Amino acid sequence: MAATGAIGASFLAACDSMGPRSAKPLLEYAEAKNEGIERALFRHTSMDVPKMSAKDAGRSFPAYFVSSQMPTWNESARGPWRLEVSGMVRTPLSLSLSQLASLPRAGYRLDHYCVEGWTAVATRVGVRLSELAKVAGVQPGARYVDFQSFDDDYHESWDIESAMHPQTLVVYAQDGRFLNAAYGAPARIYSPVKLGYKNTKYLTKIVFLPERNGGYWSDRGYEWSAGV
Amino acid sequence: MKRHHMVVRVTHWVNVVALAVMVGSGLRIFNAYPAFARRGETFCCYPFERRPIPDALTFGGWLAGARNWHFAMMWVLVVNGLVYVSFIYLHGEWRDLVPRRGIVRDAWEMMKFYLTLRKDHPHQGKNNALQRLAYFAFPLIGLVAVVTGIAIWKPVQLAPLTNLLGGFVWARYWHFLAMLLLVALTMGHVFMVFSVDPYSIPAMITGKYRDDLSPEARNARPFIHLLPKRDAPPST
Repeated sequence: MAATGAIGASFLAACDSMGPRSAKPLLEYAEAKNEGIERALFRHTSMDVPKMSAKDAGRSFPAYFVSSQMPTWNESARGPWRLEVSGMVRTPLSLSLSQLASLPRAGYRLDHYCVEGWTAVATRVGVRLSELAKVAGVQPGARYVDFQSFDDDYHESWDIESAMHPQTLVVYAQDGRFLNAAYGAPARIYSPVKLGYKNTKYLTKIVFLPERNGGYWSDRGYEWSAGV
Repeated sequence: MKRHHMVVRVTHWVNVVALAVMVGSGLRIFNAYPAFARRGETFCCYPFERRPIPDALTFGGWLAGARNWHFAMMWVLVVNGLVYVSFIYLHGEWRDLVPRRGIVRDAWEMMKFYLTLRKDHPHQGKNNALQRLAYFAFPLIGLVAVVTGIAIWKPVQLAPLTNLLGGFVWARYWHFLAMLLLVALTMGHVFMVFSVDPYSIPAMITGKYRDDLSPEARNARPFIHLLPKRDAPPST
């Protein structure tokens, strides 16, 4: 959400919901109830299938980030990029891009649902998060997952059910190419079961947690669950 | 004479507030992407793509604020609508609103009267034919707004519903059109209340209505015969 992000964050920090202040508890109550409904509706068998007639967005796919400049992994300063899988797992992982790419591959042509109201279609290829969870041996008490990035402090945490959806992928390729910097290189989370802002780009860490850990936009007034 | 039951009066005014917040916050949400086209495509059927709605018509301050209001107030709107529809069904008021044979002819006669193509106010019961059509259409369009809203709220988990409406882009468009229709009907309603039958305003608050002040009794068109006839017969 770069464009909206940078401008947004500056004046949003001060306010979350406009209107009568006294309404805030009611709005939060409604959000909690809506999350309950969302969880009740959620099925791993509900899959996103874009319309046959829908065109791929290609280069029209927007590129959002929150840093002042497009984040790129600086290998000379930070060493080779690795993806860390940690928290409540039996075997914490630290994967290079080629190790990630050698894991069982999954790919879908998917809609992207942005909180702003637009949608865009792209083919995403990567590794199912459920596959990574299996490799790392996630412990039963892990109810949430936090997806952290090198795009400043951007992160978003999810409920584990959404994270284990078969279309929730650690994506390293889009539309037949490895991700470029605009689309979250070297790897990002992508799932059609969450709004765009929940899908952390520029991924560095996947942390399994017993409790939710908020998120960049969910700490700024956007709903935390944001299921689609 | 009592014109509106308390349930009708309360749900009417709750609806005013809920609908105003839903429309205002909805327009604010719309402004985050004031277009319908999928990225990389064009959209056939909206002439104002990428032109935002004036801020003054929106509510919620910013996208997240508007979304929080929208997703809270939607329950007020739905529950209020259900209470109203259940009540008029159980209490019998629906009989005055459901279109019956001759409604098109009666509506045309009302139009002719308003356009001064006809001299006398057509005879009517509680509501004239145009009112009956409007008040019948309103909850139906409201239902469309709710169903299309649910479809764009959870387009993956409720994919069959969203697909039935033509997919997310079209469902979002139908949601917008339903809103426009509700706004148009509301504007027509408010205009007619103030220009033809302002005596119905206290009736929607206290429930009481003087039949000798009805538009039919006054032979009232917009802004014509707003005041009661001087030689009007006393109320019966």
